[in-house]
Amino acid sequence: MKTNKQLKPLIIATVIGAQLSISALAADGSVTATNGTAEIPALAADSGSSADASEIKTLKSEIDDLVKKVNALEQQRGPTEQAATIQNLDQQVRVLQRQRELDQDAAVAKSTTAPKISLGANGFIFSSGDSNFVAQIHGLVQLDNRSFDRDGHANGNDGFLLRRARPIFTGTVFHDFDYNFTPDFGGNVVQIQDAYLNYRYAAELQVQAGKFKSPVGLEQLQSDPVTAFNERSLATDLVPNRDLGLALKGDLFNGAASYTLGLFNGAQDYSGSTTNLSFQDNRAFEGRVFFQPWKNTDANALRGLGFGVGGSYLDNHPATNAATGLTSGYTTDGQQKFFSYNSGVNANGTAWRISPQGYYYYGPLSLLGEYVVSDQWVTKGKTSAELQNTAWEISGGWVLTGEESSYAGITPLHPFDPRKNQWGAVQVVTRFSGLDVDRKAFQYGFASTTKSADSAQAWAVGLNWFLNKNIRANVSFSHTTFGGFNGKPAPGVVPAQSENVLFTRIQLAF
Amino acid sequence: MKIFLKTFLILAVAATAQANEVKLLNVSYDPTRELYVDYNAAFTKYWQAKSGDDVNVSQSHGGSGKQAQSVINGLEADVVTLALAYDIDAISQQSKLLSADWQKRLPNDSTPYTSTIVFLVRKGNPKGIKDWDDVVKKGVSVVVANPKTSGGARWAYLAAYAYALEKNNHDDAAAKKFIAQLYKNVPVLDSGARGSTVTFAQRGIGDVLLAWENEAHLALKEFGADKFDIVTPSLSILAEPPVAVVDKNAKRHHTTEIANEYLKYLYSDEGQEIAAKNFYRPRNEAIAAKYAANFNQVKLVTIDQEFGGWTKAQQTHFADGGVFDQIFQPQN
Repeated sequence: MKTNKQLKPLIIATVIGAQLSISALAADGSVTATNGTAEIPALAADSGSSADASEIKTLKSEIDDLVKKVNALEQQRGPTEQAATIQNLDQQVRVLQRQRELDQDAAVAKSTTAPKISLGANGFIFSSGDSNFVAQIHGLVQLDNRSFDRDGHANGNDGFLLRRARPIFTGTVFHDFDYNFTPDFGGNVVQIQDAYLNYRYAAELQVQAGKFKSPVGLEQLQSDPVTAFNERSLATDLVPNRDLGLALKGDLFNGAASYTLGLFNGAQDYSGSTTNLSFQDNRAFEGRVFFQPWKNTDANALRGLGFGVGGSYLDNHPATNAATGLTSGYTTDGQQKFFSYNSGVNANGTAWRISPQGYYYYGPLSLLGEYVVSDQWVTKGKTSAELQNTAWEISGGWVLTGEESSYAGITPLHPFDPRKNQWGAVQVVTRFSGLDVDRKAFQYGFASTTKSADSAQAWAVGLNWFLNKNIRANVSFSHTTFGGFNGKPAPGVVPAQSENVLFTRIQLAF
Repeated sequence: MKIFLKTFLILAVAATAQANEVKLLNVSYDPTRELYVDYNAAFTKYWQAKSGDDVNVSQSHGGSGKQAQSVINGLEADVVTLALAYDIDAISQQSKLLSADWQKRLPNDSTPYTSTIVFLVRKGNPKGIKDWDDVVKKGVSVVVANPKTSGGARWAYLAAYAYALEKNNHDDAAAKKFIAQLYKNVPVLDSGARGSTVTFAQRGIGDVLLAWENEAHLALKEFGADKFDIVTPSLSILAEPPVAVVDKNAKRHHTTEIANEYLKYLYSDEGQEIAAKNFYRPRNEAIAAKYAANFNQVKLVTIDQEFGGWTKAQQTHFADGGVFDQIFQPQN
């Protein structure tokens, strides 16, 4: 009956329309219909014509008949047809609604399978819909300036330096296989920094093969764009840089502990210039364990505490020249060599390193320290000795603008935008470090006190300005003094006098 | 070197031991959800008693064709229990995850149960739908899934086509006309059989649902026998949903033995009972007789007899440019 009520006005309107048409043909008078009955105003009678009156009467009769017919039709056909119409409309609406649901489902399904592209502070990321395949493009460019104090101090080269210029290609294939390929066009030589494949069975169990950072030094393992100073400390002089090898690694207990255990070619003490091959037959075991026991707890003051130990062991190192088997030279903060072995000196025998290490981050505070022992058997002619070189460093920082500091870097709360009176994050940093070469190196003639120092101590202070997550500017000053040098000052003889150097850097990292 | 290898192996074994719980993924088609919920519970008990190991079977459901494509694209199914053999053939051919002779590994061409296509109509059958001729009448709204993605919809299409062929003395043109008329009556195509059931039963669309027999019974069970009636047409098709171990996935997951056992157990008395209780026609004759009252008698044609097997049927009717593409015009 509801449907009848809905359609009735339509039918009445139709009747009215019909009646109006008829009346228009008949006379100028108006015809209205109410509740299915027609009323003819007295207009026709006023014409004074009996013929007209008869005609009007006839018409009225016809209209009455029509109204009756309409009413009869409404009674007879209305309910069925109206119900059918309504049902039909209802089905159409339901179909449209269902189609909309299916379209939405299809859109959701498509969104999970369609490739995704994103561009942001973390670089360019291309991903398959199911994230099983990911390709990322990152980059790191560091433009440095070094200014050495020439007034009675060690004399390095002043000038600008493209310290690092790296396109970084990382990604994932078949969900579990990560890759990294990082060439470096900075400095004097183009070299491959990283080229490895990492299989993730689980976060706890991964296997990585290729060229990557040796798992020994804490400062060395910190990502290049986020180190406190332009150059790493004297402690890093004694740990290996990137090397070729195979490592088992993983994060346990949601990162509260991590481990890496690997077999590597066995790189010499830190060298900025890495190789893609081996210089001797034996392999070195290298490994590191690191703990952050409170990482996943509510103990705020302890969450950022981490400590561990890294080390390496190479048994029976075959005779290999000093530059590739021991060190190409220990360098200052200003990257000047203050110690190197004499010609004819070889690495020969067991070599091992150990590096207890730790850091502490709490709010804007950062502290990082490590101690390194590098023990190597060395020969020259028939003379052989075990040399034990040691180094240490401790660095600290404070973010003046209040951001949280971490091993992974600092993200400004208010990225640089002068129009909004936002200036990024500013951090002050300081560092103390030292390196001692085993005295036997000089006593047995493996090194010369007229060319090399037997020790170096350095301090540095700096200011880091993080304009945003991608751009950083640094300025720092470093002072290094040397011990045990008995030679005369001369061009290129670094340890004859202390080194003062002012660094600046503009960095883009994404 | 030896120390390194020993350490590596110890850690690897430790990691494997940590992941000791046996997990199986059964990728199935749309209407088997309830069947495999029951079956997995039974199998878990059986396997625990037999081997002492716990097994956790996960289920994935969707249109059979879509599910097959997901496995081809990397969904790591240990076993597949799909609506039709062609979909497992596609996995074998396109991904080589199992050998081409997979269907010979288990009895009845690896089809432990069968089903057919029936009509589910609204209570009292207001449109008087009794056979396929009524389904193609003007003004009858038919709900069925998309045969491009749904195995059940392919069986339904072929059942209707087989009826039309028989009615028209195997005149293919007449059968095409018949099937075209049928799909003119379809207002919306879901991607899977379960979606069609939702369209018909929950959304209240259409006069008749072309449904798997088990799905029609389930609708009665779920929504109430006072809402729908099942109508069995004079002729339908013998639907034989097959099962197979996805060899390479199972090997990689170290689940080959349990995956094989999982499928074999479908043929056991308990497995067959569970199938029958879920309105699948069991292969076991004794159990089929026990549950005969659940299944109406109907003349059934087979895919091999009527259409020359799945490969030919797929190519002729459902491949791009096939008969379905020629006759179906979306209504909006």
